[in-house]
Amino acid sequence: MASKLTRISVDRPKLIIAAIIVLTIFFLVQFPKIVTDTDPKNMLPATSPVRVYNDEMESLFALHKDMIALGIVNDKGIFNQDTLTRIASFSEEIKKIRGVVIQDVMSLTTVDNVLSQDGQLIVRPVMDHIPISKEELETLQKEIYDNPMLVGRLVSEDKTTTAIYIPIEEGADAKMIADSIRDIVARDKGDEKYYVAGDPVARDTFGNNMFIQMGIFSPIAGMIMFITLYLMFRNMTLVIAMMAVAFLSIIWSMGLLIGVGFPVHIMSSMIPVFLMAIATDSVHIFNEFYFRLKETGDKKQAIIDTMTVVGPPVRYTALATAAGFSVLILMHIIPVKVFGFFIAFGTIVIRLMSFSLIPAMMMLTNDKKLKAAAERENEEGGSGSTWLRKLGETGFHRYRSVTIAGFIMLIIAIYGISHIRVNNNMVSWFKKTSEIRQADTVLNERLAGTATAYIVAEADTPDAMKNPEILKSIEGLQRELEGSSVVGNTMSVVDIVKRVNKVLHGNDPQYDTIPASTEEIAQYLFLFGMSAKPRDLDNVVTADYDKANIFLQLKTWDAIAMRDILKKIDVFKASHPNVKLQFKPAGISYFNMVWNDEVLYDMIKGFIIALVVVLIILIINFRSIKWGIISYIPLLFTIVLIYGFIGYIGKDFDMPISVLSALSLGMAVDFSIHFIRRFQQRYAEVRDIENALIWTAARPGKGIIRNAILFASAFSVMILAPLTPYITVGLFIAGMMIISSILTILYLPAIIRIFKRWLIYN
Amino acid sequence: MSKYLVLVSIILFSYMLSPALLHAEDATDIVKKSQNAFFYPGKDMQARVKMTLTGKTGQQRLRELTMLRKNSDGSDQKYFIYFHSPGDVRGTSFMVYKYSGKDDDRWLFIPAINLVTRIASRDSRSSFVGSDFTYEDVSGRDIESDNYKYVREDTLDGKPVHVIESTPKSSTEYIKKISWIDKATYIPLKEEYYDVQGSLYKVFTAEKVDTVGGLPAVTKRTMSNIKSGHKTEVVFENISYNVGLSDDIFSERYLRKPPEKWIK
Repeated sequence: MASKLTRISVDRPKLIIAAIIVLTIFFLVQFPKIVTDTDPKNMLPATSPVRVYNDEMESLFALHKDMIALGIVNDKGIFNQDTLTRIASFSEEIKKIRGVVIQDVMSLTTVDNVLSQDGQLIVRPVMDHIPISKEELETLQKEIYDNPMLVGRLVSEDKTTTAIYIPIEEGADAKMIADSIRDIVARDKGDEKYYVAGDPVARDTFGNNMFIQMGIFSPIAGMIMFITLYLMFRNMTLVIAMMAVAFLSIIWSMGLLIGVGFPVHIMSSMIPVFLMAIATDSVHIFNEFYFRLKETGDKKQAIIDTMTVVGPPVRYTALATAAGFSVLILMHIIPVKVFGFFIAFGTIVIRLMSFSLIPAMMMLTNDKKLKAAAERENEEGGSGSTWLRKLGETGFHRYRSVTIAGFIMLIIAIYGISHIRVNNNMVSWFKKTSEIRQADTVLNERLAGTATAYIVAEADTPDAMKNPEILKSIEGLQRELEGSSVVGNTMSVVDIVKRVNKVLHGNDPQYDTIPASTEEIAQYLFLFGMSAKPRDLDNVVTADYDKANIFLQLKTWDAIAMRDILKKIDVFKASHPNVKLQFKPAGISYFNMVWNDEVLYDMIKGFIIALVVVLIILIINFRSIKWGIISYIPLLFTIVLIYGFIGYIGKDFDMPISVLSALSLGMAVDFSIHFIRRFQQRYAEVRDIENALIWTAARPGKGIIRNAILFASAFSVMILAPLTPYITVGLFIAGMMIISSILTILYLPAIIRIFKRWLIYN
Repeated sequence: MSKYLVLVSIILFSYMLSPALLHAEDATDIVKKSQNAFFYPGKDMQARVKMTLTGKTGQQRLRELTMLRKNSDGSDQKYFIYFHSPGDVRGTSFMVYKYSGKDDDRWLFIPAINLVTRIASRDSRSSFVGSDFTYEDVSGRDIESDNYKYVREDTLDGKPVHVIESTPKSSTEYIKKISWIDKATYIPLKEEYYDVQGSLYKVFTAEKVDTVGGLPAVTKRTMSNIKSGHKTEVVFENISYNVGLSDDIFSERYLRKPPEKWIK
């Protein structure tokens, strides 16, 4: 019994096609309104507590959200006239780039050093002129390495590396600035190597490349799907029909998304890929249609018959997929909701098309050519069907060993899952050989680290930060934090006080301490504030002296690095119960941690709820709890295997993997629905479990394998992408499709046989 | 043909009459006169100064000080600054000998450790006591350091002004400064600084100009950093000129033991 829609489509194919074209034009005209937002930061709304607190602290301490680091490495040492000249001229040139915060660029020529010489207090840039003679070069090095605030931050311990830190204005394009910096250093290259690093560069480069990647790989994936489909069905019209379903669903849902006014986000940019994946489900229709056409010889009847048997599973796979993604609408991260909704919408569009456009286009196809192509279909023979039959037979006959092997794999995989880390690191979205990744590695090895965080020490009373005891607690915390392997360097008002104290006492190391009186501290800080740039003091302490800011340089952009630091703070507080200060984390690394927790755990939560929803849909679909659970096994098995594998190879559960988990929902469940539905139909006809199972493995099983191969081959091209998230997604989609299709065909016969009494005879 | 000739000569003639050309010669003179009126009024000066540093979020650092100035030969000057507040820095004193054509000498007295130290700061564009003003903004920039161009005559808040553009001869933090100089008093009423990216980043405003002892005196001025949102407001109270400061006040002895008569 085919649906009314299918009947109309078969009777009036041209009308249906015309209607679809009109609707498509409506969605297509929305596209020029496209707005993109590639900043993953925006996945948390501007009103989220972490963003509000970060904004507050950044304006309170006159800090910048984003900073690019230009590392300059000369393996023979940077202290020579040539290298230093270049550092000086690059510092000046970089200031001219639009979007760079001129007054806060930090380099050897702009950062102030506080030193003492012949009884004079000198506050001036670390390098206020280019040293020429050997003596001058030596003096400069002595001055720098005498000041612990500079070593690690501005220059490396081994004298081979220095960095220019380039804060950028809010909203400035870090990729464009990074490109300009690369242009500047390319103009005057010497022995030095240059590295442009930092999260903003990674973020904006990724955002920029994201659309290029989508632009290159979506059409290639589409093309490969097209060729694979043609090789499978040898009929251009049918192939076009199927591709049209995919593209129309993409146009409709992206058109709606843009038309409604949502920006295209990192997540929503993946919608086309997902819809293309979901659209491949139509393969089952063609697969059955060819068998039917060969059997009946009447095209119209074959279409009606095909839709009658394939219709229900197709409808339910769509329902399961749409429901799975709809769960994401209930999550609280907005781009996750948008992503869930529009994929669910696209899935429904695909289903409507399957029952209208596809039959309509089949009607318009040349009969003779179709029949010629259908002749090749045979579940009894043919290379594809033969090994599928064997696979089904193995599952059926050797059900014990197959099941035991499955259990063993499950246990191994579950152990792997327990090793998964939920962690995101944008820099690692680039390949190890990429410029961005290398820059980060080199700078983290030689300097204190490219990632930054702040710990804000808050007291209840003004002027607290002039109190020697309070400064001692801050210093104590700094030492504690420096004990963490992720912390490269810390800096606070304490370091300034100690530095001024030492310098005012003729560089006597005995005075490298926090003075004993509040007045002394106050006057040292005043002196420092008078001599340095206004910013230098603002960065570390508030005007009321009730809050101080501890700068941290971290050696990794891992979101979970910050958790280690929070632990250290707790340890410090526990061992110093008298400290009245509150220590609050802030800054980009802290933001990344919160983002990681909020967004990724939201995805995980959504994923788990969706798994439950899919199970319920399966139960409703089969109107049986038993069959619902049985059909659920291949999906669950695939997911456990995939994530177990991820756990073993040490891949973090990051943003790309979380997106992937959503996709597994949409795909793996389809196979078992098709398998079981068709098995039940067949069993009703033949009343023989073995026959029905093996027939299902060979005939609808071919549709399953075709679906899997089609999709795996199309998405394996993403392995060639330069960005690791695409490689990950491509690789895992391919793996997941192949695994879940094989598991379905191998394990469903085994399990159905084991539970046959429970499932069938009762 | 003749129509074009007429047109061209009209354009040429009006161009020659334009203020930019008329005043080309005296842009430098105007700046000189302006510096004299702004930085050098009287033989000496005594004033109580309130300085408010305001951050982007509105948080403020307050400073109250007494400023003594004495003009020496040529364009040399001596400054003595005594800080009254914040309370915990009271007694901190600062002394500057300003020389034309060479680096200043600066001394600081830190009462908590009873120490006078010389402070070397080679860059006259560096911040004056941590404010948005630079040393140059307080005591003047060498006339020779810039090229000047007369832009136009104009009015600012009803006052006729000369608009002068200064471009530094050697590279510094700004590439261009536009000054609105009062035609009557030669006081700069407003100055705009453009950074190396060509955008406006600092604005000076003489918000209140009074007359003290027949001389114009800027009693309230602000320097705002447009880009960072940081701002410094300086209010001069009780300005007196020609009070008869003697040279010995500007010495290390008085730095340690401030001249009470003048500090109050």
